[in-house]
Amino acid sequence: MEMSINGAKYLAQFELPILGTVNLTQTVVVSWLVMIIISALCVWLGSGLKVTGISRKQAVAEMAVTSLVKFVHDNMGTNFDHYIPLVGTIFVTSVVSNLISLLGIWSPTADLMTELGWALVVFVLITYHKIKSSGIGGYLKGFLDPIFVMAPINVMSELFTPISMACRHFGNILSGTVISALIYGALTAASYGLMNLLGSSVFAALGTAAMGIILFFFGKTKKKKALKVVGIILAVLGVLALVSLVGIQFPWLTIGIPAITSFYFDWFGGCIQAFIFCTLTTIFIKQAAG
Amino acid sequence: METLYQSLVAVEPLTLIATICNLFVQMFIVKKFFLDKILAVLDQRRQAADKQISEAETARQEALDIKKTYEQNMLQANQQANEILANAQKTAVERSEKIIKDAQQQASQIKSKASADIAMEKKKAINEAKNEISGLAMAIASKVVERELDEKDQSGLIDRFIDELGEQA
Repeated sequence: MEMSINGAKYLAQFELPILGTVNLTQTVVVSWLVMIIISALCVWLGSGLKVTGISRKQAVAEMAVTSLVKFVHDNMGTNFDHYIPLVGTIFVTSVVSNLISLLGIWSPTADLMTELGWALVVFVLITYHKIKSSGIGGYLKGFLDPIFVMAPINVMSELFTPISMACRHFGNILSGTVISALIYGALTAASYGLMNLLGSSVFAALGTAAMGIILFFFGKTKKKKALKVVGIILAVLGVLALVSLVGIQFPWLTIGIPAITSFYFDWFGGCIQAFIFCTLTTIFIKQAAG
Repeated sequence: METLYQSLVAVEPLTLIATICNLFVQMFIVKKFFLDKILAVLDQRRQAADKQISEAETARQEALDIKKTYEQNMLQANQQANEILANAQKTAVERSEKIIKDAQQQASQIKSKASADIAMEKKKAINEAKNEISGLAMAIASKVVERELDEKDQSGLIDRFIDELGEQA
């Protein structure tokens, strides 16, 4: 079977004065959707606030803000409170962008340009703080440390900070996408293979179903859970094989099972990458400020 | 129209610029509609809590002051009571001493008066006895001497005689 993993879809093409020919991709459109979702969430959570006798909604919102402030304070100290909105925005945008793929929508974070945009903003801030803390002369002199021969390496290491940040996030999301596609393909193939085997004759299908039902009741009388589960699986497989014998072909195994891997690659990976990106943002800015 | 995909890693200037712009717009929205509001509420609550704590502290201080005043008052009352008691005891002692003294004085007065009376009585008795004796002596003498004497001279003579007699006695 054929499998292809592509980048974002091109939706339109424009001629712009300076940039020349540019493409409007799925990434941009979905990032707008993400913005609308986050903005709506913000307006909803930020409305009807009370000082005492708060609602459950407000409690959640306050907890989120408190943990965000704590996160920034833990990583940067209390002198960088003006970066709280930036860190919070990057985190929530990253999480929503990562998780939107669960709805079958293209994830903007699966496009390197998204993360590179964020990383460039962080890079500008890092450079600003470096120049602010040691002066422009001190900043430029820092590239000659420890000896002038190291200058090219120092410049590269400086430039690779945003690139590595962007690529780490992008690579993890992309790997999740790739592995999900691979698992989906593999399960589809396995599904058809199994159905062909069981559905080769009516007897095989019926036999599997019957064996499953017998095992289920045997497990029930013996009160053994494992037997019951195996019985149910065999019975369902037998019935599905009968269905495929009638002529309805469907990759049954792709229902449900990918959710288990998606739990790790989309939910866990998505959240942890957003967290790592924000942690690096705060730590780099703090380091740059000295 | 054929669906075109960009490659997995592609440089798209529009996407990059849009992402950066989106980030700033999003940051503004998050700050304006969410963070600032929640932080303001948290700040208000903290201030309210601070106020309550300071109020409680003031109330505690007041209660302590009241307690202190009360204790002082109690102490003063105790002292006053003690003073009153001591005064009363002193007065009682003084009064009893005075009574005893008065009684003693009166007793001594009575005693001296009694002894004066006794002395007077004694003197009176002696005088009477003297008179009796002078009468007696005169009677004896008139009989013994058988000499008519002037009454006046006689009594003076006899008185002198008795006095001498009394002094000898």
